[in-house]
Amino acid sequence: MPTPRDDGCTLTGALSVTTEIRDCATIIHGPAGCAHHNFSLLHALHAARDRVAPPALISTDMSEKEVIFGGEPLLEETLLQALSHHPEIVCVLSTCVAATIGDDVEAICHVPRTTPVLHIPTGGFLGGGFLSGHMEALRALSRLAANGEKALSVNLIGEKTLEYEVSEHFREVSRILQSMGVPVNARFVCATSVPEIRRLGNASLNILRDPSMVPLGRSLEDDLGIPFIESFPLGIEGTLRFMEEVGEALSIETSHAIANEEALQHEMVRTFSSLKGKRVRFSTQYPADGSSRLGYELADLFDLEVHEEGNPVPVPDPFPVGTNGIRRLLHRWKRGCHA
Amino acid sequence: MKQIALYGKGGIGKSTTSANLSAALSQQGLDVLQIGCDPKRDSTRMLMQGTLIPTVMDLVRERGDRALSLDEVVFRGFNGVRCVEAGGPEPGVGCAGRGIIATFQILERLGALSADVVVYDVLGDVVCGGFAMPMREGYAEEVYLVTSGELMSLYAANNICKAISRLSSRARSRCRLGGVICNAKNLPREEELVAEFSEKIGSSMIQFIPRDQVVQQSELNRKTVIQFTPDSRQAGVYRELAEKIMENRRLDIPTPLEMEDLEDLAYAYST
Repeated sequence: MPTPRDDGCTLTGALSVTTEIRDCATIIHGPAGCAHHNFSLLHALHAARDRVAPPALISTDMSEKEVIFGGEPLLEETLLQALSHHPEIVCVLSTCVAATIGDDVEAICHVPRTTPVLHIPTGGFLGGGFLSGHMEALRALSRLAANGEKALSVNLIGEKTLEYEVSEHFREVSRILQSMGVPVNARFVCATSVPEIRRLGNASLNILRDPSMVPLGRSLEDDLGIPFIESFPLGIEGTLRFMEEVGEALSIETSHAIANEEALQHEMVRTFSSLKGKRVRFSTQYPADGSSRLGYELADLFDLEVHEEGNPVPVPDPFPVGTNGIRRLLHRWKRGCHA
Repeated sequence: MKQIALYGKGGIGKSTTSANLSAALSQQGLDVLQIGCDPKRDSTRMLMQGTLIPTVMDLVRERGDRALSLDEVVFRGFNGVRCVEAGGPEPGVGCAGRGIIATFQILERLGALSADVVVYDVLGDVVCGGFAMPMREGYAEEVYLVTSGELMSLYAANNICKAISRLSSRARSRCRLGGVICNAKNLPREEELVAEFSEKIGSSMIQFIPRDQVVQQSELNRKTVIQFTPDSRQAGVYRELAEKIMENRRLDIPTPLEMEDLEDLAYAYST
């Protein structure tokens, strides 16, 4: 399910993963500019989530000299520099230029060392974009995990660390899982530690952020023997269905938790009863198919008439997760309808 | 200023031909600059009495591209011919094509590219954008293909024709094919074959250079034929080539052959 948000720089996609790992140093093998604009972007977005430490990026600062004579010695030098800070792991990301001149980054990363050094191929001109960078990074990191003893717990796979409300989405999916007695084993990855990645294989179920992560879900199923659910819970019906699916996958009794969630949803509908019967129009330009479907679900719930002259209400993409996501959205709808 | 480029398959004798051409041109009283555009860096060796001069890329590798001066990259060889070697990365790493582009930029900046005749001696097997640099606007307007009658050599020459015809379609491009130089390998009916090939691509064979022992002898003595045996028949052939190139007014946009046609042509002369 690729969307325009998944296009863009492959390197940025991979960085949205590696900079979320604590004690991971990321080397960008390429010209300084490739690191610079990503550094600015990540630092600004991290700051919005109250993370003030700058992302741990090192650029090899490749120049025309390396393009002509090869950049491998420079990468080796930079790698030693990174290792001298004793990170738990090092991720080496290539760039368009490094891939064009054919620097053998994989061979340099492959030298046995006490600290794992992972190569994530991110030459953007080779096709793919942000999403493929995101997925390649996760795929490379998953090799740190072993197929372990399964416990009643789940992994969250492929959180979009740069998206709006990423923390809210996490809190909501955790709350819903908690209500069924299911703990989160690992976030793969968002604010994640290396030990957390290593124990990835201990969960009984992977919950993908959205269906764009299905290829990764499949390879984790093959490598670690963990089945997956395609998406975080979205919408009123969707949230309840998500709970049923989790219950089935883990063979646990969930009817009580589902009943509680339904009660929560009914209470929410009552809270926003002033919306009833209003006339609305979806104000989001070019809403994603999924989002507008979920918008209609809400409109039906409150007997809203969707009309081009109605009050403007947003149907954001990504759609807010779970019951509490809808609650946040309904606040905005209420303001839009002056209700 | 006349700027010419010699292209052809590796090992076909471009450097020998270029060096002897430059030597012969210098004896016409012309100020000649020869630029070797091949990471192998041996284009100007015979003009320099067997020495491998420091290459532009060597100097860049040692101290960056800013601290270079003209007399560190340009060397005077036989009869005042000025010699430059672009050089390049070690085999198997980096990007030699980018090295050629960087060399041209440095030579431009140093104001090195002025002479009565500039001879570019260019590796012809690999024509990426970098190795096509000498054909671009502002550099060589005449390309001469060096080939023998061997199929692979004709094949490489034909490929270079593709580059010329592609580049010449650009609005401001003035790069044209000046002619074909047959550097013979002593194959039967080689002169006829290369002459026919030249016509088929819409050009002409400007010079036939027979195979002669003196070329080898001169090289073993670290000299061009012009310097080592000025009175030999072979030296006369190189002087003739120099005259023809200076007088040449025929510049064509070549029409490269299809592989099958090229094979048929070579096959027809093989028996």
